[in-house]
Amino acid sequence: MTFFATNGLRRAFGGVVAVDDASVELHEGRINGLIGPNGSGKTTFFNLVTGMIAPDAGEVVFRDRHIEGQAPHRIARSGIGRTFQVTRVFPRMTALQNLLVAVRRAGLTEVLRSAMRGPEVERAEHWLERVGLEHLRDAEANSLSYGQQKLLELAGAMMGDPQLVLLDEPAGGINPVMIERISDLVRELNAEDRTFLVVEHNMDMVMSTCDHVVVFDRGRPIATGTPAEIQADERVLEAYLGV
Amino acid sequence: MPSVSSRWRIAAAAVAGTILVGYPLVAPNAYMLYVAVFALMYMALATSWNIMGGLTGYISLGHSAFFGLGAYVTGLAVTRLGLSHLLMAVVAGLLVGVLAIAIGYVALRVRGASFVIVTIALVYMFSLLAQGWRNLTGGSTGLRVPAIGDLSRLQIHTVFFYAFAVMFLLALATWWFIDRSKLGMGLKAIREDEDKAQALGVPTNAYKISAFAISAGFTAVGGGLYAAWFNALDPVFVFSIIIGANMVLMALLGGVHHLLGPALGAVIVVPASEYFLVQLGETQIHLVATGLLLAIVVLVMPDGIIPALSALRRRRGPPAASIRESSAETATTSRVTP
Amino acid sequence: MPSASLLLQGLALGILTGGVYALLASGLTLYFGVMRVVQIAHPAFLFLGAYLTYYLFTFLRVDPLLSILVTVPLFFVLGVLIQRLLLSRLRPDSFTMMSVLLTFAFALLIEGMLGVVATGSFRSVTVDYATRSFQLGIVRLPYDRLIGFAVAVATLMLLFAVLRYSRYGQALRATIQHREAARLVGIDTDRITAIGFGLGLATAAVGGAVLALITTFFPAAHWGWIARLMAIIVVGGLGSVSGAALAAVLLGVIEALVLVTLDATWAALVFYAFLFLTLVFRPQGFFGGRLAERF
Repeated sequence: MTFFATNGLRRAFGGVVAVDDASVELHEGRINGLIGPNGSGKTTFFNLVTGMIAPDAGEVVFRDRHIEGQAPHRIARSGIGRTFQVTRVFPRMTALQNLLVAVRRAGLTEVLRSAMRGPEVERAEHWLERVGLEHLRDAEANSLSYGQQKLLELAGAMMGDPQLVLLDEPAGGINPVMIERISDLVRELNAEDRTFLVVEHNMDMVMSTCDHVVVFDRGRPIATGTPAEIQADERVLEAYLGV
Repeated sequence: MPSVSSRWRIAAAAVAGTILVGYPLVAPNAYMLYVAVFALMYMALATSWNIMGGLTGYISLGHSAFFGLGAYVTGLAVTRLGLSHLLMAVVAGLLVGVLAIAIGYVALRVRGASFVIVTIALVYMFSLLAQGWRNLTGGSTGLRVPAIGDLSRLQIHTVFFYAFAVMFLLALATWWFIDRSKLGMGLKAIREDEDKAQALGVPTNAYKISAFAISAGFTAVGGGLYAAWFNALDPVFVFSIIIGANMVLMALLGGVHHLLGPALGAVIVVPASEYFLVQLGETQIHLVATGLLLAIVVLVMPDGIIPALSALRRRRGPPAASIRESSAETATTSRVTP
Repeated sequence: MPSASLLLQGLALGILTGGVYALLASGLTLYFGVMRVVQIAHPAFLFLGAYLTYYLFTFLRVDPLLSILVTVPLFFVLGVLIQRLLLSRLRPDSFTMMSVLLTFAFALLIEGMLGVVATGSFRSVTVDYATRSFQLGIVRLPYDRLIGFAVAVATLMLLFAVLRYSRYGQALRATIQHREAARLVGIDTDRITAIGFGLGLATAAVGGAVLALITTFFPAAHWGWIARLMAIIVVGGLGSVSGAALAAVLLGVIEALVLVTLDATWAALVFYAFLFLTLVFRPQGFFGGRLAERF
């Protein structure tokens, strides 16, 4: 089974080609890193994969099914979770409510159920506990610190029980202790059979956490391999230092 | 949530219930009853509007389109087909609700201010159609709807007092039900961050369109009841943007995030504007007053009266423990954020 | 089948009217560019300008074109004040909703005050030199439309020139494109935003004078224009002054053609039809406009 692959993915904005003929394949069960200089198309790649923007060309296959062009909520429900580069939470909802927004099953009976009761609440509380935020369950999300919001976002992404988790700069803007905490969480969740694709600029985190790394430059992958292989690759060095 | 003890709540509900049931019996004259019916109508309309506006954050300034549609569908059914007034008001609500699904499908492709503009265009479009399509609607001269029965003014006001009261309670119940349901959770997430809601699996389009259609349907029922009550439909009035503006103003004034916010706004605005109408008799001053009130609410208390009152009460009472204090503990061990 | 001369007449009138629409819509693009505000009261200000032009003409015998010299600075200052004192007070998290409601309130206020002061009678400004028409082959071009078109085009070109070549204009464009970056290079974006708003309202002063000349108006007239102007900037693509101008002429022509072949009601519906069509098929607009993604 093809767990996850993109084929010739392409997207342009006006005259700028953000993602250009991107073909990437990910194996199930790994923690994959996605690195590259600024503007190399990493976040656009995420947006294309999760359906937030439609590709101009190319395909995205997840667990043998084509998902390119599908609506974001459908892709999310089919098992792909994501976090955002600039952490987004629902500011005026409590931490618990933030998690309860997640929809796993569509349908009329589901929709009419009470939101604050039932098995979903237990799941949400479980995830709050996992990330260490259970004591802030009833706090408004905009009163949490940035690091806490990042953890909340991660918990939210997990509510859909995803097999593939896309993290966009999870280590951005937080202190080293928090980075360590998030790395530990990622490793724990990975051990529970979840595949990760992590966009990161923090090389320490990438080298220590990822099994496999894809390097983007100017909208397309230019190298893939283990962290050690990537570190030694000339093309990667050139890309970062600029030609 | 405003912290009112349950004893207060029960007492308040009892008083409100008594008024709702008994007012027509004690109203001093037909005019005072008329004002009450008018207030109830707007309480119902504003609450219906809030099913969309308050929960999703999408502001429709064109809800009078649905009011007018409901009025005309009911009026025409009664006039041309001789069907029952009250029944047709409900049927009109259902029909307009279904139509609103189609309208919403198009209108909700855009967000924020674009959506507002689309709703304004909608009202104007229907107004033009109602005025232009003479064969169907009687054009600019309007439509005369026969009265519900051979009753006195007082009796008619009494009938529609109860009719609007029932509609109001149903709208309240619907708002309350949606608010606490998974649908409501999704709608509020859309209000906070629509893209993120999608990323969490919320079918945002379906949810938005549902809220829009339900809100439109209720508003149309209000229009239908109005047609049956007032008996004269003027296309310029029923499709007037002012009705929609009033709905928004009332909801905003009371507080859009609260069940009774719109009703509170209506209870304040309707008697006040009737008073000014009697004193000044000039419809243009009406506009100045509405505009002024709307501007003041937006600039000074955008969250509405209910939250402002809660904040006042909280400031008077004992200070609550700060959330930040409890997280300060975790903060000292793990935090340094720029 | 309508005759060729009728169609040509429609085309000519459409172009003339389209030019005026372009002027009227340009202000909206400015407000939206600097502040992401959809200024619903812009048409109301247009008619306020029309009324001012009317009163200056009727009581002081000031030629409508000359009155622009008075109304433009007045409106510019008004725009700056509104932005500085009122709009900037709105909270950023609910800005879209609140700014729409606030500008809506302005529209109500203006209409109400105009109604009280000027009453509901239809007004217009008729100057001797504008009552005749110019015959160009088989097409008749009314002078008032020609003048309106000329003023509109001249103003738009002036606006383009200011935006392109003046220091303020460049700072304005920078702020519109990327506020943060503009601040980083030292531009006082708050001041620029106020100026942008003032410019937008200044175009309303000119537009109002033109409207006074070419049409009759009454206090509630602005409602019909909100949807029309919004349709123009949506079809043209938000944030693009040239896109809006193109869309304005296009829609003006189509409206005129429908007017000469069918009737006024159908012609009025043209804008709404295009608005909805654009939403269905291309919500971000047709003629470019980078700001159109999601607002």
